[in-house]
Amino acid sequence: MSNTDIQISICGSAGDGTIAAGDILRRVMADIGYRVICFDVYPAEIRGFGKCIARLRITDQQAYSLKAKSDVLVSLNDSHAIAHAGELRECGALIYENTSIVAIAEGGHMSSHVQPGHLPYPVAFRTLSEKATGANRSRNIVALGFIAGLFGLPAEAFKKAIAAKFKSKAAVAASSVAAFDAGYDAGTQRFKLDDVCFGKPTATVIPGATIEMINGNAAVARGALDAGIDNFFGYPITPATTIMEKLASEMPKHGKRLVQTEDEISAIAATVGAGFAGARAATSTSGPGLSLMTEMLGLGIMAEVPAVVFVSQRGGPATGMPTKTEQSDLNIAVHGGHGDAPRIVIAPTNVDGCYRCAGKAFEMAEAYQTPVIVLLDMYLSNRYETVVFPAHPPFEPNMSRKLGKGENGDGYKRFALTEDAISPRAIPGDKGCMHVVTGLEHNELGRPSDQTDMHLAMSRKRHEKLKAALQHPNFTCHKRFGDEGAVDVGLLGWGSTFGECLEAMYKAQAAGIRCAAMKVVMLSPFPAEAVAAFMDDCRQVLVPEGNYQGQFANLVKANLARPLTSLTRPTGAPVRVEDILDEIRRLAALNQQAKAA
Amino acid sequence: MNAPLSPTGRLPRTAQPVYLDDKLRQIEESGRLGYRSKTLPTWCPGCGYFAIVDGLTSALRQLDIPNEDAVVVSGIGCSSRFPFFVNTYGMHTLHGRALPCATGVKTANEALTVVAVGGDGDGFAIGGGHVPHAARRNVDITYLLLDNAIYGLTKGQTSPTSALGFKTPTSPYENADQPLNPLLMLLSYGASWVGQTYAGRPDHLKRMIVEAMQHRGFSYLHILSPCVTFDKTDRTYQNLDLQVRELPASHDPSDKLAAMREALRPDHPALGVFYSEQRHTLGDALDGLVEKAGGSNAAREPAALKQAGKKARRR
Amino acid sequence: MATARHHIVIGNGVAGSQAAITLREREADAKVTLITLSALQFYNRYDLPKVFRGHRDWREFLVYPPEFYSDNRIAVRRATRVANADTHRRVLVLEHKEELRYDMLLVASGGRSYLPEELSEFRPLMHGFGSFEQAVNVAKVLPEGGRVVMLGGDMIGLDLARTLVDTGHRVTLVAGEHTFWPHELADEQRALFIKALQDMGVEVLEQEVVGAIAAIETGAKGMAARRVVFAKGSDVYGDVVMPFFGLVPSVEFMLGSGVDIERGLLVSPELRTTNEHVYAAGDVCQIWDDAAHRYRFYYGWKNVRAMGDIAARNMTGAAEPFVSAQDEILHLSGDGRIHSPFWEYE
Repeated sequence: MSNTDIQISICGSAGDGTIAAGDILRRVMADIGYRVICFDVYPAEIRGFGKCIARLRITDQQAYSLKAKSDVLVSLNDSHAIAHAGELRECGALIYENTSIVAIAEGGHMSSHVQPGHLPYPVAFRTLSEKATGANRSRNIVALGFIAGLFGLPAEAFKKAIAAKFKSKAAVAASSVAAFDAGYDAGTQRFKLDDVCFGKPTATVIPGATIEMINGNAAVARGALDAGIDNFFGYPITPATTIMEKLASEMPKHGKRLVQTEDEISAIAATVGAGFAGARAATSTSGPGLSLMTEMLGLGIMAEVPAVVFVSQRGGPATGMPTKTEQSDLNIAVHGGHGDAPRIVIAPTNVDGCYRCAGKAFEMAEAYQTPVIVLLDMYLSNRYETVVFPAHPPFEPNMSRKLGKGENGDGYKRFALTEDAISPRAIPGDKGCMHVVTGLEHNELGRPSDQTDMHLAMSRKRHEKLKAALQHPNFTCHKRFGDEGAVDVGLLGWGSTFGECLEAMYKAQAAGIRCAAMKVVMLSPFPAEAVAAFMDDCRQVLVPEGNYQGQFANLVKANLARPLTSLTRPTGAPVRVEDILDEIRRLAALNQQAKAA
Repeated sequence: MNAPLSPTGRLPRTAQPVYLDDKLRQIEESGRLGYRSKTLPTWCPGCGYFAIVDGLTSALRQLDIPNEDAVVVSGIGCSSRFPFFVNTYGMHTLHGRALPCATGVKTANEALTVVAVGGDGDGFAIGGGHVPHAARRNVDITYLLLDNAIYGLTKGQTSPTSALGFKTPTSPYENADQPLNPLLMLLSYGASWVGQTYAGRPDHLKRMIVEAMQHRGFSYLHILSPCVTFDKTDRTYQNLDLQVRELPASHDPSDKLAAMREALRPDHPALGVFYSEQRHTLGDALDGLVEKAGGSNAAREPAALKQAGKKARRR
Repeated sequence: MATARHHIVIGNGVAGSQAAITLREREADAKVTLITLSALQFYNRYDLPKVFRGHRDWREFLVYPPEFYSDNRIAVRRATRVANADTHRRVLVLEHKEELRYDMLLVASGGRSYLPEELSEFRPLMHGFGSFEQAVNVAKVLPEGGRVVMLGGDMIGLDLARTLVDTGHRVTLVAGEHTFWPHELADEQRALFIKALQDMGVEVLEQEVVGAIAAIETGAKGMAARRVVFAKGSDVYGDVVMPFFGLVPSVEFMLGSGVDIERGLLVSPELRTTNEHVYAAGDVCQIWDDAAHRYRFYYGWKNVRAMGDIAARNMTGAAEPFVSAQDEILHLSGDGRIHSPFWEYE
């Protein structure tokens, strides 16, 4: 597997530069040639000294989940970090400040929380920072230097990243380099007792490709840009806001247009309007906004207008937990809105998937003339992975069904009932094809009609045309991993949970359990055939997800009549590998019992 | 100049006789039938909206806007049926959402002529939250607000512009809500063109629609129109004929306070252009952002429309 | 409501670790904390020569596995330095300004290597062997068959010399007054033992007193890493230079605390200092010898362990005097091999 698998946690308070240190560190690791996955913990309040944790896992091959235990724990603030001392594994390195300005109460210093198997590295961060820069504000950079020195990481890569991060503030950049050097010297001189070992990074070179440390939201924005997004209308909401912010700064550079609307309803309405006018248009939101948007989504569905909605789920319902992750908006994404209103919903499982789904969404919206929801969650939005971007964006520019020669002129049937249920589509500006799209049920010409036969025909059209999405070119609707053929336990996962599912699957395989995992990316239309075939291979099927009701499990059950075990964990944090693994073991044991009986 | 109407809404007997053949020829020659769709309106006979359809199609003809370059966007309500009756592109959207949809259409393609149409409920009840923003952004669309002070399609409930005391099925004793003053609101929202007209004066109506559409920026045209089926007491042709007046000749359309003062007399609605100013549209602002960001605006202009030289009428 | 007593032991060597175990046995409810400068739990310094036999993993050196301490509820504060002791308030102040209250305190901080004043400027060029980290560093630096220039030659150093010779390295001993420390030998005896060392395979250079070393230099590239120059002008080359000049007690943090200190902490035969709540054990203390009417050190693993045990017992209510557990006589066996009680550890 991986000859490098090291997880570093840096824990401090807001104001210690914890997140900045993590940011530099992950860039460096990606630069050196490792793959990184990083998920930080931010304080809930804007001001104050809340806890921050920068947590990153460094591997040869891209990992899609974090480990329960870290290999290195750095404390920039003991009052916050002490609670996390237990997160460090046996023989791991625990690095902390060994000086203080004020008296510390008994037990208030990390030295009394170092567990028997840990290797302690007290470092005079404050003194080193003051000596190098005259102030103690660079303790976080000193810590980075120490890590680099202790683990033998290339100093130049760090200095490059520091220079890039502070490129607009020359003085800060210079003093940061001095602080780094001070830490680096201290690190090289310290005797290394832990067994944390960085293997040689694999430098995979794909001609023309670029490798970037990027988070889910930035990847979504990039996918939209690479797919040629024309218009974006959005309203700020955690955790989707940064998609809009990134697009706000990038789109004008490409001559494109972004407007912040007065609410989510306006945002989706404008998106549908722009889609009607032939533009590639999108909006982004979270659960509460999606609730508001459902009526207008129905309009897009009824009027067969393309629209793309990026949704990043957070704790719900109502205002819920704005800064915590959850997977509880599946129901509303797939079914939200009154009437029989089918739409396409695709849910990426990692950051690279966020990029691809974002771009492909525009293709699908155009090709199948419908709103498409890209469903991610806060874990994906805020987590960083090393993503390899191909030299040429893998997205098609225009997938609209064009009009044939005879379709112009009087009586243009915008909603012609064709064999594949997709009608040729004219847009405003096309001569002779004037038509009105309406939220009322309508006939082929688009004129309001409430006739039974027509409603049946149109309902069928709106549902049938989406089935082609399951075969959409160059898109992975679902994928199976692990053991081929019959297995003891199969995992069915979606969204960010799939990373943990994979990790649990590998561990189960290592423990001798025949195990496979399938990720379902296209939730609507549901890939019933593929999922059924997978479930038939598994003696037990486990469906882990981060919500209370088992929304995905229910979706599977609604489409297929096969037994499954639902594992729900609505904790506001990613579902844990251990929990999934425990359940796999339990199910495997059940299999054994059944065999014996 | 219109001949003044009698209280019964009929032309005075002293006017010239109108011959049907002449009238039909006139209509055909005007070319505005090309802008009427094959679908017959579903409105009640006598509804003010017929005049408004005629007004819009005339305006499109007069301004020489090709059918395919016009988009009529509506919400829900009797007035929102509008798009079906004009032979242009159209969006019949959801209750209260015409303005944001129209904003989306215009932002996607500035070369299109976008007209938003809706009623008083659609615009100021459920849709009220969108009005200030379309106005302040100065989106380059024309908003035709067809105000019959009632919810006609759902059979006659009170609307935000219904008068105090008005009796309806949902206010059987009387309407206890103070009505909104749309003109005052749009003036304070920063609309760059605010005008009012009356369905009972078709010529005035036509002229105002043309002016509204010619204005570069967000044009708000408030159109007083009776609901002959469900309002037999309040906003009738008889009453409106007596109440409406022209704006004073001395009225300066660049004087916003003066416009507001005129708007503060809802019992005596004034017809004409209340306010007009030139300022950057949303499109201009977005183009400006592109330039600021170092991008180029060239790609957005569809080549076909460039050739047709439609830009001329907008300048 | 009575809170549990808190006993602190400074030093996690032979004495300290034994004391902690005994304290736990004697007072099941007390809180027991061990403070040590080391990043590792207790290991025997006598085991360190094993690094030359291929043992580089600290896990092979720990006397007790890490869980032993948590299983016995002994809190071990590693990599922690005591700044000073406030014996009035019965509070230890750690270097990072944390204050620990204690009921009984045992100072078992042992001794650190002594380096004569005149050699202190050469400290950066020499290699110590007092800790696991230092031992591994030497093993990394010393090439196969490499030469160690040993200065002084106390019993710890000579023990290491045995292993070095046995593993194919070469040892040159610059002998002086610290050779065979802490044994004190008469001249004739000394000559015999020097001969025994040479028979063992150690090259012995008899110089005069300390001070005969004029300089220690880094060797030129491609040459041996170190060159020791003597006052007479002669020199010797080696890959590492290691000082073994005996130990001095680590008492800095007890200065100003009020307990009597000579070279080490002065304690009664019950190992109690002049402060009733402070005891001392191991290489750090001088114990009152009534017969000889003076304070004296006792070295040797068996002695030190016994001291740790007795101190702990006396801290928890007993009043047993320390009795020497091993003799201190260096002797030659019949076949000319050196035997020292300080080389017997198990």
